[in-house]
Amino acid sequence: MLGKGGKRKFDEHEDGLEGKVVSPTDGPSKVSYTLQRQTIFNISLMKLYNHRPLTEPSLQKTVLINNMLRRIQEELKQEGSLRPMFVAASQPADPLSDNFREAQPAFSHLASPPLLPADFVSTMPLESCLTPASLLEDDTFCTSPAVQHDGPTKPPPPALQPVKDSFSSALDEIEELCPAPTSAEAVAAESAADDSKTQPSESNIHKPEGLPESRTADSKLMDSLPGNFEITASTGFLTDLTLDDILFADIDTSMYDFDPCTSATGAASKMAPVSADELLKTLAPYSSQPVTPNQPFKMDLTELDHIMEVLVGS
Amino acid sequence: FLGAGGGNDIQWCFSQVKGAVDDDVAEADIISTVEFNHSGELLATGDKGGRVVIFQQEQENKTQSHSRGEYNVYSTFQSHEPEFDYLKSLEIEEKINKIRWLPQKNAAQFLLSTNDKTIKLWKISERDKRPEGYNLKEEDGRYRDPTTVTTLRVPVFRPMDLMVEASPRRIFANAHTYHINSISINSDYETYLSADDLRINLWHLEITDRSFNIVDIKPANMEELTEVITAAEFHPNSCSTFVYSSSKGTIRLCDMRASALCDRHSKLFEEPEDPSNRSFFSEIISSISDVKFSHSGRYMMTRDYLSVKIWDLNMENRPVETYQVHEYLRSKLCSLYENDCIFDKFECCWNGSDRQVEFFSLIVMTGSYNNFFRMFDRNTKRDVTLEASRENNKPRTVLKPRKVCASGKRKKDEISVDSLDFNKKILHTAWHPKENIIAVATTNNLYIFQDKMN
Repeated sequence: MLGKGGKRKFDEHEDGLEGKVVSPTDGPSKVSYTLQRQTIFNISLMKLYNHRPLTEPSLQKTVLINNMLRRIQEELKQEGSLRPMFVAASQPADPLSDNFREAQPAFSHLASPPLLPADFVSTMPLESCLTPASLLEDDTFCTSPAVQHDGPTKPPPPALQPVKDSFSSALDEIEELCPAPTSAEAVAAESAADDSKTQPSESNIHKPEGLPESRTADSKLMDSLPGNFEITASTGFLTDLTLDDILFADIDTSMYDFDPCTSATGAASKMAPVSADELLKTLAPYSSQPVTPNQPFKMDLTELDHIMEVLVGS
Repeated sequence: FLGAGGGNDIQWCFSQVKGAVDDDVAEADIISTVEFNHSGELLATGDKGGRVVIFQQEQENKTQSHSRGEYNVYSTFQSHEPEFDYLKSLEIEEKINKIRWLPQKNAAQFLLSTNDKTIKLWKISERDKRPEGYNLKEEDGRYRDPTTVTTLRVPVFRPMDLMVEASPRRIFANAHTYHINSISINSDYETYLSADDLRINLWHLEITDRSFNIVDIKPANMEELTEVITAAEFHPNSCSTFVYSSSKGTIRLCDMRASALCDRHSKLFEEPEDPSNRSFFSEIISSISDVKFSHSGRYMMTRDYLSVKIWDLNMENRPVETYQVHEYLRSKLCSLYENDCIFDKFECCWNGSDRQVEFFSLIVMTGSYNNFFRMFDRNTKRDVTLEASRENNKPRTVLKPRKVCASGKRKKDEISVDSLDFNKKILHTAWHPKENIIAVATTNNLYIFQDKMN
């Protein structure tokens, strides 16, 4: 809450964000506008996800937060036609089952090229939004290392740029790889439509802890809380990024003697704590790490190795 | 005369404060509604614990002409209990959302109190006599042996200590899927409306097993829901007219004679957005938290997060007056969104009036943060910020106006925006219907202020 000291500290930080609204078309102030928008989006998601009341949450509040999210989505959609995945995934769905039918078109959009980092606004670090280049250049992440899973045909996923701006956490870097695994997942999703209900719940290992409970509550509240639909719909944002796929997609598993089929589930439980923390970090309105633009992107195999070690617990 | 107009600014003095002194606020003691009855003699509060406390004004002491009667506890009762909705596995809060008094028709008083789901009609009656002298019963209630009765006598009423009893006379339940935010008694005094997030129902006070749905904004597909009902009120004179406000800052006026389901409004009041003030939070701060008709019914007042607006019912496209309550918060909206303060629902009220004439609806009162509350004089266009605090405890000391320093150098006695305590919010205020007495609820205390009488 806004206690005196707390507020002051928060407010100093806020000064850069609040104050006059800048038009999204201004040059340098576009960055602060985008940052503000990102912050508000993250806060809104947190409000929908983390509220665990014993009583029914206020419908008015839920509706207002949903409207906020939708407005930001619309804006992002208008800013570039390159966000179909994001937008489709965010379409509010009616019953739980519909959500995943909605999500599938989202995945199919991965076939289209450039996905800007701002697409993954739910997991995207703020740092990416501070990078003008990522917003202005369409093809930043077009090229990919041809480290593809033996999946169906899909375009080269954006990833592994030797030079990339403003990624400071390893997880963020890893997420760049996600179009490859997610398109693989998308194809799997499309082909296994009847499994769609269960799939995201398993793959959403990086959801905050309380969410699995909310799923059962969701079905009960379905009629009275449209926000539930938003919750289930917005989990669509997160289904795009599953650490299983991200981490294991491009790794030569023979090195680690993993059985690809079991490794995903086996590692999932280990990954959960890591991923939840990381995700919460990206969802936090303020990253503690100052970002310098033009920080070289240092994703390489040594980083992957390190992460693997952590996960395997060696 | 009520000190309205002519530069006779009211000087408010502390009169009383009710409630616990310690800073540790018990959740159940949080005041959730405040309402004077039609004569002003009774003042009711509802709290989060489902209790109603009614205060009664002392009869004015003719010798003590310097102050009006004090308010003392008259009755306390548990209006609503927490319930559990087994279908949804959720608790139904017992918090009293609104209290509305019925006009007094006989010796007893009646009020409607509501929580999120159920409205109750309570009868508050006094008992100051009791029958004594039964033939078959002893005074303590034991039955006498009939064979010992040798004479007969007529029981008589003898005075006893005043006892105030509250009994539930009607329970209006199971008519609202969503949370009730408003109740409003019609000017016919026979019917009333109850509004939740998506529907408004019309009840007859005598009939509990049936209500009529008069507004329904629930979309066929809930995913299309973008707007909810936030408040509703009957017109003070026209028993077929009511208004309801929305989370998008609109007010709709409906006429029940037009059709059974008033989904089509007769009038839509909406102010176009000011492009220079546009922000991510424009919609949220435009959400109306309270709507109140003026005494004559020609105007209505709405409260949104930052302002109070006065609307002329004959002009739909913009309010006739707008008063900024705490404009200095506009640059803090992101923080206030994060800590949920932006969703606080402030109420507003008109000054009292001893006549149903428009001329007398001249002062508007509403709450703010840091235990501040604000008054706007429509005539002089002057406004004042006052504080409800135990530090101004001496009766008949005039309250000192407060000032918030938005930016720049803070003057002496000013408070900077960053020092405001956002946990101390005044959401509920009420003005005596006839006199210059106001009731202001802080989190768990009720303050009563009076104007300085000479």
